[in-house]
Amino acid sequence: MTARGWTGRGKPGKSPRKMGVSKGMRRTWTGLLVGLVLATSLGGCATGPTSPEALAANDPFEQANRAALKRNAVIDKYFVIPTVGLYFLMVPEPGRRGVHNFLGNLSLPTIFVNDMLQGELSRAGQSAWRLFINSTVGLGGFLDPASKAGIPPHGEDFGQTLAVWGVGEGPYLVLPFIGPSNPRDATGMAADILIDPTNQLPFKQHIWWDAGRIYFTLLDLKGQTYETLQGIQRNSVDYYSSLRGLYRQMRAEQIRNGRKTAEDLPDF
Amino acid sequence: MPFSTPLPRRALLAMAMSAAPLLLAGPAFAAPNVAESFVDENIHKGLEILRDKRLSTVQRRDQFEGLLLSLVDVRRIALFTLGQYRRSAPPEDVEAFVNAFKNYATAAYQSYFAKYTNQQLKVTGSTQRNPTDFIVQTQLVDPSSSQPPAEVDFRVRTDTGKPVLVDVAYQGIWLSLEQRDQFVAFLGQNNGSVRTLIAHLSDLAVTLGKPT
Repeated sequence: MTARGWTGRGKPGKSPRKMGVSKGMRRTWTGLLVGLVLATSLGGCATGPTSPEALAANDPFEQANRAALKRNAVIDKYFVIPTVGLYFLMVPEPGRRGVHNFLGNLSLPTIFVNDMLQGELSRAGQSAWRLFINSTVGLGGFLDPASKAGIPPHGEDFGQTLAVWGVGEGPYLVLPFIGPSNPRDATGMAADILIDPTNQLPFKQHIWWDAGRIYFTLLDLKGQTYETLQGIQRNSVDYYSSLRGLYRQMRAEQIRNGRKTAEDLPDF
Repeated sequence: MPFSTPLPRRALLAMAMSAAPLLLAGPAFAAPNVAESFVDENIHKGLEILRDKRLSTVQRRDQFEGLLLSLVDVRRIALFTLGQYRRSAPPEDVEAFVNAFKNYATAAYQSYFAKYTNQQLKVTGSTQRNPTDFIVQTQLVDPSSSQPPAEVDFRVRTDTGKPVLVDVAYQGIWLSLEQRDQFVAFLGQNNGSVRTLIAHLSDLAVTLGKPT
């Protein structure tokens, strides 16, 4: 992939913009690198022997993952949850719904690409129509008339695409800030940054756009999942392994696109 | 034209008799409907108990528990969630665990289903895994929300002669599988001590509102 105007040569001292390098391009490669580093860094952080149960559960980094979950909980408690609380107080539900719709609409190009990469042409068509309808009639994506028109939303990401292509998930990971993942899904996250066309648009203040989008995506996600996660924690004898099992089941369901596979269930 | 010549009475009788085994086969052909009816009737009963404002908290809990224990094969689920530790644990610990799991499960299920009392459940079909194992698909619809319906599946077994629930899945996530994952992980962290797990479950049951 070549950024517009990139020649591979530039005079020393010139700014990247004058060199013709798109800021979006640098960000995407940075995102990919960060994703890969995060996905592999925990290999060096494991402390203590791994239990046979953890190995059987494909969680060889269990000790490091448990420590990461505890750290994430501290960040949630002192930063994320108070921020989400403020967001809920200051922004009424219609406004939060608008933010959610807008963010969802921004993701549609990435979802469309992943639909196509998986050969899901019907779903790709739905994504394309949703993007068109919600961007126009939906006032730039703040409204969701496409759902009312009978075109429901769905999610796709490059981690799911890799799974469809036969890539195994690898060992369970708990990533800083992000939470449950695995090498395949973490790589997929970084690749989605590359695929996202809004990251390729060269415009001023792009960094503020990126920061704002990440911030509101975090608020939206935490707002949607907070009560559910609290419920899981309340009902669990071991929150860590409960989350691990739930994450794997949820990803398997996403990869299947909701198709039922009753034959995979254990007999009991 | 076919059948333009009236069939002799004996031929008609022979056809009827040959069809009788099909009509009377009952379980093999009607079982998916039995599973669907079982879920439809009883889940509605459960939701009605949970939304009945005339009942006190204690009455609601007791009625829900009574219904749940009549529908769910708690022992089968409990033994499944122990995973490989079922074979190595002393039999008396396993029995104590089944009892503790029963208390925990009724409190946990009541807590789960209480969130959906204002929603409507619609059976949309079923899949037969084998002659005594069915997955009944339903949708939970919230009339007050524009959210799409949630898909909830119920796993029904009929191998004991009557239908029983053994698992439930919300949006593709099976509860018994998740419980097995966490119980096995907990036991792995606690030297396989089922008694420690029992103590933990008993504490949780109290926290979730179920006295032990």
